[in-house]
Amino acid sequence: MIFCLTQSVKLHGWLDNVLYFRSANLRCRFAAVVLFLILGVFSMLTVADAQNAPEASEKGKEVYEQSCAHCHGTEGRGDGAAAENLLPQPRDFTRGLYKIRSTESGELPTDQDLFDIITEGMPGSSMPGWETALSANERWEVVAYIKTFHSGFKEREAPPREISLEGKIPFSEESVEIGKGLYTELGCIECHGNVGRGDGTSAPTLTDAWNFQTWPANLTQGWTYRGGADTEDIFKRFIGGIAGSPMPAFEGDSFLHFGLTSEESKRLTELENMDEMTEADEEASNQFYEKMDEAVNVALTRAEGTELTAAEQRMYDDAMKIVYEKSWHLANYVKSLMPEERPEPAIGNNVLRSQYVQGGLPTIDDAAWETSEARYFPLVGQIIVEPRQFNPTIDAISVKSFYNDTEVVFLFTWDDRTYTTGDETDETTGKPLEDALAVQFPVKVPQGPTAPKPYFLGGGRLPVYLWHWKASAPEQVTELTAKGINAAEVQEVQADLQVKSTYTDGQYQLWVKRALKTEDKKDLQLESGVFVPIAFSAWDGSNGDIDTKRTITSWYTFVLEPVPSSRRFVYPPLIALLSFGLLIGLRAAVQRKNLEKLST
Amino acid sequence: MKTYLLASLAILLVCCAVGPTFAADSDAEVEALVFPDSYTASSVSNGGTINGVVKFEGDVPEMKMLEITKDQAVCGATEKYDEAVVVGEGNALKNTIVYLIDISQGKDFDKATKLEMDQQGCQFTPHVQIVPVGVRLTMLNSDKVNHNVHIFSSVNKPVNKQQTKNRRKMPLAAVKKAEGPVSVKCDIHGWMSAWIAYVPHPYFAVTNEKGEFTLEDVPAGTYKLGYWHEACGSNSEAPVSVTVEAGGTVTQDFALKLK
Repeated sequence: MIFCLTQSVKLHGWLDNVLYFRSANLRCRFAAVVLFLILGVFSMLTVADAQNAPEASEKGKEVYEQSCAHCHGTEGRGDGAAAENLLPQPRDFTRGLYKIRSTESGELPTDQDLFDIITEGMPGSSMPGWETALSANERWEVVAYIKTFHSGFKEREAPPREISLEGKIPFSEESVEIGKGLYTELGCIECHGNVGRGDGTSAPTLTDAWNFQTWPANLTQGWTYRGGADTEDIFKRFIGGIAGSPMPAFEGDSFLHFGLTSEESKRLTELENMDEMTEADEEASNQFYEKMDEAVNVALTRAEGTELTAAEQRMYDDAMKIVYEKSWHLANYVKSLMPEERPEPAIGNNVLRSQYVQGGLPTIDDAAWETSEARYFPLVGQIIVEPRQFNPTIDAISVKSFYNDTEVVFLFTWDDRTYTTGDETDETTGKPLEDALAVQFPVKVPQGPTAPKPYFLGGGRLPVYLWHWKASAPEQVTELTAKGINAAEVQEVQADLQVKSTYTDGQYQLWVKRALKTEDKKDLQLESGVFVPIAFSAWDGSNGDIDTKRTITSWYTFVLEPVPSSRRFVYPPLIALLSFGLLIGLRAAVQRKNLEKLST
Repeated sequence: MKTYLLASLAILLVCCAVGPTFAADSDAEVEALVFPDSYTASSVSNGGTINGVVKFEGDVPEMKMLEITKDQAVCGATEKYDEAVVVGEGNALKNTIVYLIDISQGKDFDKATKLEMDQQGCQFTPHVQIVPVGVRLTMLNSDKVNHNVHIFSSVNKPVNKQQTKNRRKMPLAAVKKAEGPVSVKCDIHGWMSAWIAYVPHPYFAVTNEKGEFTLEDVPAGTYKLGYWHEACGSNSEAPVSVTVEAGGTVTQDFALKLK
């Protein structure tokens, strides 16, 4: 209302001249509405204006050198002081290769694209979001400055061709099914693997435009997608490609059966997969190829910058419509591979609870595992002790557990793009590089609420008890005792651990069974209801993980969920009965006393 | 958010303290060809010829056998070798580009030549391809496996297109600017490697198995003759001067060492 009062003073004279108001209140309301409209239009204008960065200025340079140059270098070559240890490497801005764009293949990004990346950061890389650290103004200044590193921004004559999101195909089972077919047909499997865990047969040899090793995305982990994991984001990566990386763009001229309808494409695939073709088949397939050639020719003409005739444009649009449709189906399929959100770490209500079962414990492939909810332990690179791992490839491990009266069983599951069993050796140590996992418990469970947890891999006074599994001995777990990260010893007495493991489609499963109690004093003894610290380390041999160069979790908690006792049907009623009896007795006694009092 | 920033700052600090732990293959920067500022095509009559042989000087490195890591049936049927240095009989050096650096006027491109690069047995053939500016190169796929054609241009738009197993022919858009040689790779088969030079005039030749090259219909005059080889580098800083007489033939041989 104060707003209305002050504003209406300014507008009063003008409004009174233009319109006749019956009441001051109405007039005030009208004034407010007009003002809001004006403000609204004004703010829309500024927002529209914000789509383009300002001219490069000293301010942008200043912000860049303060916040960006450590990684990206003062000259924008991606060679800042911190660059050497980062993978993915910080972007070299001088080549104009930008991964995350809303523009077509081969185009530079829009200013908004650059602004968004700076604001939101790139998940799965070292690039943080700067939304809180830099003001919007500063971010726009940086966008303008970054553009000065590559001449293409200045030289471009027309605005970049943006990818149209029109005609989005909503998520449905049918769409996912079509997308799944395309996933194979287009060759996504080569790098991203059968079910998308980034474990394709080409994954270990991929390099980027700067000759740095690069891993294909694990499509089941949406939270690691550099440019976001919304269906629209995924779609844009298809159409625009990921410049500088091995990910190709779905351009018209190269797309599978470009210019053919979906039915024609299906028929041609059948023909192409025939061992022998009849003359009629040959003729039919040639006709399809001619049609494709025509459409491809138009797409190339457009790519070469020649104006298309109306008829050509129509042909191009029709053919591209199918490319876009198929890309939406594929995006829906990729979307179907990931959980909606990253699972919560196993803390608070999520601690790892081993469930009690009567009788035998489930084997590795038992359906019983599906009845148990996995607990999730995020892994990070170990960067405290040399050798360090700055570029971890294992994201997390998930765990399930059951126990009975005598034994406990665990099922550990983690994604690893490559199956490495020690064929290659580490250059410095000469040790074989192989995939491995370690599960860590204290030897003695700390008692009391303030008791310290065992130090990082066991301190001098609080040793840890370890299970060490290696891919080269898939059915064996070694028991270790450690009093520090470099002071692990194989135990003289090895408990009778049962071990099974599998590696399928970029995922390890490790199954370990042990007795709750052992004779060995160096082993952890398990008791129901006791909260036990637990931690994990994982090694990806193909990522050079060896010794302390590995991924680790912090300490979490694990408990054998106490069994609700069957005696609960005996004791509580008994106690109730006793108390009731006592009450009656007491009452009777009091009454008797009172009677006695009365009678005297 | 704050903690994230702090964490990344901490990581940065550690990074700074630790120094290098890895680096990419530090391939020396690929040397570029030198192109004239402008070129005018016209008919050449009574032009001369420049020919010669390029030989390899020094101990011939053993050809590195390629490690075939996938699609064995197609890619690993025969032994494959890295084609960075191919030395034939009499130390003849294959795949060397020999060209005129400073020609500004001469014949037009032979438009009839079909420009193709094949992917056969998971290797590119030829290993070095000259592509005139404004002409489309057609990529062939003779293999029944998926490939992707990745051309690391920087002056022109880079190319990265999948060529699925049944796509026998895939023409690529013509480029506008002279550039190169640029590296060609297949990301699916990491060992596949080739080079493309986008050129503004037709006076470019690639040496054959015998190390031979020929540049024909050269208008009479004195020119700078350049060479480029992927492992031996180029002479663009100190090119050889050759004088061509009308209708005559001049021979210029080269002996190249590893750079």
